[in-house]
Amino acid sequence: MSDEFKVDLKLDLKGLACPLPVVRVSKAIKDIPLGGVIEAVATDPGALADFPAWAKTSGNEILKTERSGAELKFYIKRVK
Amino acid sequence: MDETTKQKLLDVMKSKLNRQLLYYLDVCAKCGACKDACHIYRATGKAELVPSHRADLLRRLYRRHFTSAGRVFPSLYEATDLSDQLLDEMYQAAFTCTGCRRCMVYCPFGIDLTWVIGVEKAMLSAVGKVPEELNMLADAAIEKGNSIDLYREIMQDQIRSLEPELRELTGMPDATIPMGKKGARVLYVALAGTGSILPPAVIFNLAGEDWTLSEFEAANYGYFLGDTARAARIAERIVNEAKELGVEEVVLTECGHAYRVMKHLDEVWSKQKFPFKVLSVFEPWARYLKEGRVKVLRPIAEPATYHDPCQLGRNGGIYEEPREVVKAICTDFRDMTPNREKNWCCGGGGGLVAQTDLEEFRADTGLVKAEQVRATGARIAATPCENCRLQLALLNERYHLGVEVVAVTDLLVRAVAPGALRKPEQEPRETAREQEASA
Repeated sequence: MSDEFKVDLKLDLKGLACPLPVVRVSKAIKDIPLGGVIEAVATDPGALADFPAWAKTSGNEILKTERSGAELKFYIKRVK
Repeated sequence: MDETTKQKLLDVMKSKLNRQLLYYLDVCAKCGACKDACHIYRATGKAELVPSHRADLLRRLYRRHFTSAGRVFPSLYEATDLSDQLLDEMYQAAFTCTGCRRCMVYCPFGIDLTWVIGVEKAMLSAVGKVPEELNMLADAAIEKGNSIDLYREIMQDQIRSLEPELRELTGMPDATIPMGKKGARVLYVALAGTGSILPPAVIFNLAGEDWTLSEFEAANYGYFLGDTARAARIAERIVNEAKELGVEEVVLTECGHAYRVMKHLDEVWSKQKFPFKVLSVFEPWARYLKEGRVKVLRPIAEPATYHDPCQLGRNGGIYEEPREVVKAICTDFRDMTPNREKNWCCGGGGGLVAQTDLEEFRADTGLVKAEQVRATGARIAATPCENCRLQLALLNERYHLGVEVVAVTDLLVRAVAPGALRKPEQEPRETAREQEASA
């Protein structure tokens, strides 16, 4: 967990086939309160552009992206 | 239903009433041949899921609003006015159809019911009555195209992190995954996941191909929505990239609808002739094997079958090349019956796998495909489309088929990559269904 954010829900999206990572986050964000944060871990290189694009079109916010080897960790705040 | 919505729906319908659609709406004799060809009706027995019934919703509207007889005597001519109830029925009809087009093969008049259903989808899209997931994925893909400059460098960096594994698999110390390579002969378009990037990179490197990886994913969710304007904008990202790089060939990954969109549809939507060829990844794979540019180092002895994805096979025309690849690497190949243009749909196409609330429906309606797979006695079920793999993995679990569901290129890598031989026991890849369950 990040020291900067209180995480409401963790999602392990490692190795998921297209298009499940974005679909999972899109579904799960409705299960947390407004202002809540999802920590999502993915391994798809495309997620680096896919998640910000989804956040922009859905009106939510990527607070931070961390990279560790092949793993990508996104902190996503529910805004809408 | 308010007048503005009604008018918008009728405007879209009017814009789609070309000779082809009019023929389809006029000639259906409701003979029922399509019901026996449909895996969904066969599994459920529900009259509202018969292909001709799905199209009949549009036919009734057409008669009511665009024919004199239907305007004056609606009840005599099975003509129905637009209403919220009809729109709800149309939504169910349009977005539970996989668009496999098997019904068209058996229709005595050659009616392409998915064309009619595509018009229904276009109408529903125009008023925002579409599955939320598909809508979201289409919007995100367009936004990604608009903002790719912000992420290009970091994405390329992430792709480079795959290269150590690539070098291990190929045994080639200089193997790479090039991106943005101007003048490359081939632009390869993958899906979002590493699984459709690394194995093809192994084959391209072993074959000594002059290639570069696309910045965009091949999937096109605008197409599943029946929204040709959005579908064309999503495809445009790849077309522009191919033109900027000056490639000779755009090679689509193992994805049925992505191939069909680029090969057969987008030139019409975007009113242009592409200055490059569009190929399925199986065309170069089969060629490399024939030319000896990749060699089978370890044939696979387990009985294997091949599932024709509807979008790649029946709707895309690619039947032989993937079979040539599987036959070249598997010593016990067992084709399903029927196959090729008469193959049964697995039940996962048309964007249904992205609609998570349809999982039970998909499991039920995939029964006939499950029976087909079981009848082969195969232990490996190879199939190109990621939607098909997700669906076959679901059927594997539901009907205890005991097969390994695998991408054809993954299978090819096992047989031809020198680095893959170094592992004493080849661990089967985690199936998409297992991935989903553990997520």
